[in-house]
Amino acid sequence: MRRRAFFRFLAIGTLASLAIGRAWAGAQRLGLRYLRPPGALPESEFLSRCIHCGQCGEVCPNRCIKYFGLANGLGSLDTPYIVPREKACILCMKCGDVCPSGAIQPIPRTVEAITQRVRMGRARIDKRLCLSYQGKTCGVCYRACPLPDLALRVGMLEQPEVLDGCIGCGLCERSCIQMPHAIRIIPDLG
Amino acid sequence: MVEYRNQFALIWRHLNKVRWLILSLVFSLLVLLPFVHVYQTYLAAHAYDLLAPGERQLYDVMEALTAPFVDDPAEDLDALKGSTWSGRLFGLKLSDPLAAASQLAAGLTFYSPFLLTALIPLLATLVLGRFYCGWLCPATLLYELNTNLGILLNWFGLRTGMRRFDRRLKYAVLALGLVACTVSGSVLVATVYPPAILGREFYYAAAHGGLGVGALFFLATLLFDLLVSRRAFCRYLCPGGALYSILGRYRVLRIQRDVSACNDCTKCSAICEFDLNPLRDGFGQECNNCTACIAVCPTNALSFRWRVTDIPNQGSGHLSPRYRREQQSQGPTRGEA
Repeated sequence: MRRRAFFRFLAIGTLASLAIGRAWAGAQRLGLRYLRPPGALPESEFLSRCIHCGQCGEVCPNRCIKYFGLANGLGSLDTPYIVPREKACILCMKCGDVCPSGAIQPIPRTVEAITQRVRMGRARIDKRLCLSYQGKTCGVCYRACPLPDLALRVGMLEQPEVLDGCIGCGLCERSCIQMPHAIRIIPDLG
Repeated sequence: MVEYRNQFALIWRHLNKVRWLILSLVFSLLVLLPFVHVYQTYLAAHAYDLLAPGERQLYDVMEALTAPFVDDPAEDLDALKGSTWSGRLFGLKLSDPLAAASQLAAGLTFYSPFLLTALIPLLATLVLGRFYCGWLCPATLLYELNTNLGILLNWFGLRTGMRRFDRRLKYAVLALGLVACTVSGSVLVATVYPPAILGREFYYAAAHGGLGVGALFFLATLLFDLLVSRRAFCRYLCPGGALYSILGRYRVLRIQRDVSACNDCTKCSAICEFDLNPLRDGFGQECNNCTACIAVCPTNALSFRWRVTDIPNQGSGHLSPRYRREQQSQGPTRGEA
C-alpha cells in the first residue's frame, strides 16, 4: 500500500512538474530585451546547459553580468544576463573560461575569434534619434566601439553605420548620449 | 567482560570539532569570495580615487586580507571562484554530482568537460558516502546552528517542531527534480538546492546589493526545520542528499558500533541529525559520517571501520542481561569486530 501511495505520489508529481515546467519555463517575456554573456549558446541550448552557478558574474571584472529573478520565467531564474544600457560587456572573455558547463563557450580573446564566434546581438541605429543624423556631430558610439571599422563605421558628420562585424557587446548603447538612446542592441538569442 | 580496544578513539572523538572547523572555513570562504570579486572589479577599473568611503574601506580590507597570498592581484585572485555547487580551485574545476546529473537531465547530451568536473566528488562519495552533507555543505552549518537554536528555544520552554516524515521522500524529490529539468529544459534543481542557493545569494548580496528568490526559499526551509520538523529539509527533501545517499550506499568507510562497549545510553540516536539509529546499528545509506554520534558516545563504542555493509542489528549492549546470556552461550568471541 505504501509503495502504491509512493508511485501515485510520483505520478501526480510528474504531471504537476510537467505542467509547471511548460507553464513557467516557456513563459519568456517577449518585451524583455537582454543579452546573454559573450559566447553563450543559442537560448534553449544555453538554458539546458547553464547550471546557475554564478561563476560568470564572479569573474566579470566589469560587473556587467547580472542574474534573473522571476522576470523571465522560472527556467531563467538565476541565469546570467546583460543590460547594455546599464553596463555593457567589455569582451574580456573571462566568463567563457570559467563556465564549467560550456553554456558560455570559451573563446580566445582575439579579434578573429571574437568576431567569428560571439553573437550577442547586433546594434541598430535609429536615425531619427541619432544626433549625427540630425546635424549635430556626435560620434560617441564610434569612440566606444571595441571593434572600430569592423563593427561600426562613421561617415560624414560622424554619422554611424553598423557593419557585419558587430557582435552586440553594447558599449555603443552604453555610451549613447541621447535619451531615448539612438543606438541599441537587438539581442540575438538564437 | 571482553576487553575492548578502540585504538583510534582519541582521533574519532575529536573529528566532530574538525568537521565544524571545516564547515566554518568553507562557509566563511563562500562569504568572502564575493567581496574578493568586488575588490577585483575596483582593481580592474584602477578606480581607487573614485571610490566612495565605504567602498574604499572594502578595498583596503580585501587588499590586506589577500596580499599575503597573491603576487599579482589582477590575475591570481581568479584562482578561487564559485561555490560548492561548482567552482574553480587553482585551475581545477569541481562540480557537484547533482549539477552533472541535473544538467544531463536538462540537456540530454553528454558534455564530457563538464561531467569530468564532477568525477572527483563522485569518487569521494563512493568511498566516503554522504560526507558532503556533513563536512562541506555551507547550508549544513546554518541548518545545524538552526537545530541548536531549536534546542535553546526548548530550554526556554518554547516548543519546536518534532514531526517525522518518510525519509524516502527525498528520493522522489530527486526523481521529480530531474524530470522537471528534462521537461523545462533548464536546470531547475539548482533553484531548490540550498548549497547552490547560498553560493549565489552571498554573491548577489555582496556584488549586487540585494537578495534573490533563493534567499526566501532558504529562509522558508530554516523556518520549516525550526517549526515543523527538526532538520527536515536535509532529512526528507534535499535532492542532493538523496543523490549522495544513493551513491554512498556501498561506501567503504563506515561508523560501526561495538556491542561489547555499548551501554545503551541512546545518546547517539538522540544526537543524530538525520534521524538514524546508531544505537541499533541502523546507519544505512543516509549516514553522512558526520561523527556527532562518536563524539557523544561515553564509552567509545563507535568507531570507523573499512566495510561495505553495516553489521546487522547486534542487539543491546554489554550491560543488558540478554547480551550476557548470549555471551555465555556463544563463548567470548562475540563482539570483537
